[in-house]
Amino acid sequence: MTAETPQRDEIVVATRPTPGEPRPYDFPSVQRHRLGNGLNVMAVDMPGRPLISATIVVPVGAGDEPAGDAGATVLAARALTEGTEHYDAVQLTEAAERLGASLHAEAGWDATSVGIDVPAARLPAALELLAEVLLRPTFPANEVERLRDERLNDLLQAQADPRRRADETFIGTIYAQESPYHRPAAGTRETVESLGPEVARRAYEGVLDPDRATLVVAGELGGLDVVGLANRLLGSWGRDEGASHAGPVVDRAAGSGRIVRVVHRPGSVQTEIRIGHPGLPRRISDFHTVSVMSAILGGLFNSRLNMQLREAKGYTYGAGAGFDMRRGAGPFTARAAVNTEVTVPAVIDMLAELERMRDTRVEASELASARDFLIGVFPLRFETPGAVVGAVAGLAIHDLSIEELTGYRERIEAVDIDAVEAAARDHLHVDRAAIVLVGDVDAFGSDLEAAGLGRLVIDRDDVAVATQRAAEAEVAAVVGPADEGDEAGPTAGAEDPSLPGSDEPAPPEGLAPASDR
Amino acid sequence: MPTTPVPTVSYSDERLANGLRLIVAEDHLAPVVAINIWYDVGSKHEQPGKTGFAHLFEHVMFQGSRHVAKAEHIALVQAAGGTMNGTTWLDRTNYFETLPSHQLDLGLWLEADRMATLLDALSQENLDNQREVVKNEKRWSYDNRPYGTWQEKLQAHLFPPEHPYHHSTIGSMADLDAASLDDVKAFFQTYYAPNNAVLSIVGDVDTKAARASVERFFGAIPANPAIPPLGDMTLPPTLGREIREVVYDRVPLPRIYVGFRAPVAGDHRLDALEVAGQILAGGKGSRLHRRLVREERIAQDVALFALGFTGGASVCEGWATVRPGVSVDRVEAVLHEEIERLAVEPVSPDELARAFALIEADELAALQRVEERADRLSMYATLFDDPALVNEMLHRYLAVTPEAILEVAAATFRPDNRLVLTYLPETPPIESEAIDADAVERADEEVAA
Repeated sequence: MTAETPQRDEIVVATRPTPGEPRPYDFPSVQRHRLGNGLNVMAVDMPGRPLISATIVVPVGAGDEPAGDAGATVLAARALTEGTEHYDAVQLTEAAERLGASLHAEAGWDATSVGIDVPAARLPAALELLAEVLLRPTFPANEVERLRDERLNDLLQAQADPRRRADETFIGTIYAQESPYHRPAAGTRETVESLGPEVARRAYEGVLDPDRATLVVAGELGGLDVVGLANRLLGSWGRDEGASHAGPVVDRAAGSGRIVRVVHRPGSVQTEIRIGHPGLPRRISDFHTVSVMSAILGGLFNSRLNMQLREAKGYTYGAGAGFDMRRGAGPFTARAAVNTEVTVPAVIDMLAELERMRDTRVEASELASARDFLIGVFPLRFETPGAVVGAVAGLAIHDLSIEELTGYRERIEAVDIDAVEAAARDHLHVDRAAIVLVGDVDAFGSDLEAAGLGRLVIDRDDVAVATQRAAEAEVAAVVGPADEGDEAGPTAGAEDPSLPGSDEPAPPEGLAPASDR
Repeated sequence: MPTTPVPTVSYSDERLANGLRLIVAEDHLAPVVAINIWYDVGSKHEQPGKTGFAHLFEHVMFQGSRHVAKAEHIALVQAAGGTMNGTTWLDRTNYFETLPSHQLDLGLWLEADRMATLLDALSQENLDNQREVVKNEKRWSYDNRPYGTWQEKLQAHLFPPEHPYHHSTIGSMADLDAASLDDVKAFFQTYYAPNNAVLSIVGDVDTKAARASVERFFGAIPANPAIPPLGDMTLPPTLGREIREVVYDRVPLPRIYVGFRAPVAGDHRLDALEVAGQILAGGKGSRLHRRLVREERIAQDVALFALGFTGGASVCEGWATVRPGVSVDRVEAVLHEEIERLAVEPVSPDELARAFALIEADELAALQRVEERADRLSMYATLFDDPALVNEMLHRYLAVTPEAILEVAAATFRPDNRLVLTYLPETPPIESEAIDADAVERADEEVAA
């Protein structure tokens, strides 16, 4: 696409090609309509995309539930597909399968959603199922109890998984007890054990408010009357008097000093490292600057953390950092898994990168590549209806306008070095970061002590002890799959909790962890 | 027949003079382009003592070439607004990037530069660095993960020691330590040649212009006329006996893995087996989920699926995680019973229709992304010399009959073709209901036997 005649260097072209003319891209246009009961309907026509994605989202989530019911909202969402007035659980599953539809209901910190992906011709039937599970769930006791037991077993599994153990310990360390973010969104053993159909129904009723709900439908909609369908299926949905209006979320930090916490895992060949502190809520004025800053620090493959820990030192398969932005201040986390012998040097390198980010100005070239990446990758992110629905639903959750997406690239373009410097200074608090390590403390404990990184706390239990304790209901918060993900894009906050025990088939060996992509 | 028309992928398919196979499929829906190269080399090409090398080599491919510095490949792709990765598997290695379509030439140039001149930038330092990265990948993905050794063990049991699928793609730490610069040079010179590669380009491009760019960047790279053929990989279709192993691991819940030899990729019987996998474990309406998780509540989760390989046999593998307080024996018995029932009772028309509907939706979902379409075109061209399969596989799945499922299930799900790998907690908790004491005792006996 370059006009110049390339200079050939024996067998390859030596000169780097210059880019062609970019083809304009606009975020697909969103048709908005409000039904009589207040329900927002957003339809996005994407010609050539015959697999339709539809989601109803309500901005009430695990962050809104009382501490004693922790996990109730996630459990309630999962139970929506376990039985309704017209279908039992198996009939519901089979009805969805006959449509070739995957029907899913989930809750995260900020929202509860019910969604379905289905070939276009079967959208009306699929939306009927969606309305059925949203409006007429029955919370059958035996199914709710099964889901609760599955969560309890999942908590056992989490204890044994170093990654989940590290995430759990990290949030339990950085947030104050009274913050819901102190615990996993799907609840702790202590709270989940007492959950049942009544609590699930109560949590569900808190969600039932059409005035705050949004239906988003995207894909090839040619000929489909989405508003008419919504009116027919959801128009009579009335507000439940138990519906809650979400208030602010307590997101207070646990303490002010530096703490180093180690979960001893004898014989561990790697140490899972988490460094960070309570971060930022989604609705902040410098969202785009923070996106650029965290891309430079730990978002891109050639981020400072990854280049130092992986490409310079070989300590890890991947190091990164990011802000998990929620309605309240979700965590800022820098993370890596390193071989046991280099645990302390790796922690020191990570701290040094965090300090350098805060104390020195970024290079113009670093700024350019982060901005160019975020701007350039924008069209790639929205190739599928599912991705578009996720982004639009994310706006609804945080009460942001569509301009957040249509103007995204312009705002990223406007970020400059001064702004990045200010964002790093304002939002990275290395001095009060917690350092959480899950690994074999016998191998690095004395080096760690000598490094004097902060007040040292060592949890000397191993998996067997943890298992036993769990059975005795003594175990602290365990992070669930719902808490994964540090994505700080325009859609952050649209959590997508996966079901427990969702091991993937063995993947081919890759160059980089999926999180680096 | 599909109930929703699945968009047909139209493509051009040709070879450059140096043997590089080029497939281009235009799609102007979004201003993006996927570039995907499959090299016909995988862990099956590794020699004894060099396990894990194909994958280590893949990492070296990102360490620079004559005109590209270490890690610059990725930096350039990201700065152009693109994403990229590379992966290695038993039968192949692939490299891919998805870019804004006006950056097509950048992606092609980067791939060409390393295909032609990787060795110019090769250094001991970079090899050592990536060796450490890969060893940490192995620790992260396998060694430091509960049940993390299962895939490695499964391959080792299902394929005899002399077979190239016997060892895992990640390889052994000792072999990774032994990898040398000479190994990298030899591997590159042998396998990384245009005539051993398929390049697919899918997206917002003009076929003629894309072809011209490919010719310009790749056209002068010499072929390797002497790529050594693989040895005979044929195997008996079944194991011939049941193989059992008990593994004590740092896990709170026992898990039973099963593995079977299965028909090779491309064989129509494997299509039927994949449909069988959907019926057995594809989601909440599947037989295993319904019986073990929902009705009897003896398992926390279940899975079963086929992994298609081309040399001798594929594998069909799955698992059930045993709920606390439940006998491991009981779960194993029910798992076998449900799997083997497929070999004697024909599936019902409704069950088959539901499986088809889900498979169709999965195909639609996968093919809507240019990255996936490019990967499949490269895959079908590399493994079967038949990129048209990109449009045919769905029809093949939907043509599977109840009789074909019975037949392949009867041939595959047999006790004498079965590996049973049982993971048990290494330290049984005392006075806890989490683990069935009888099951642990039983397993101890198995080890002794």
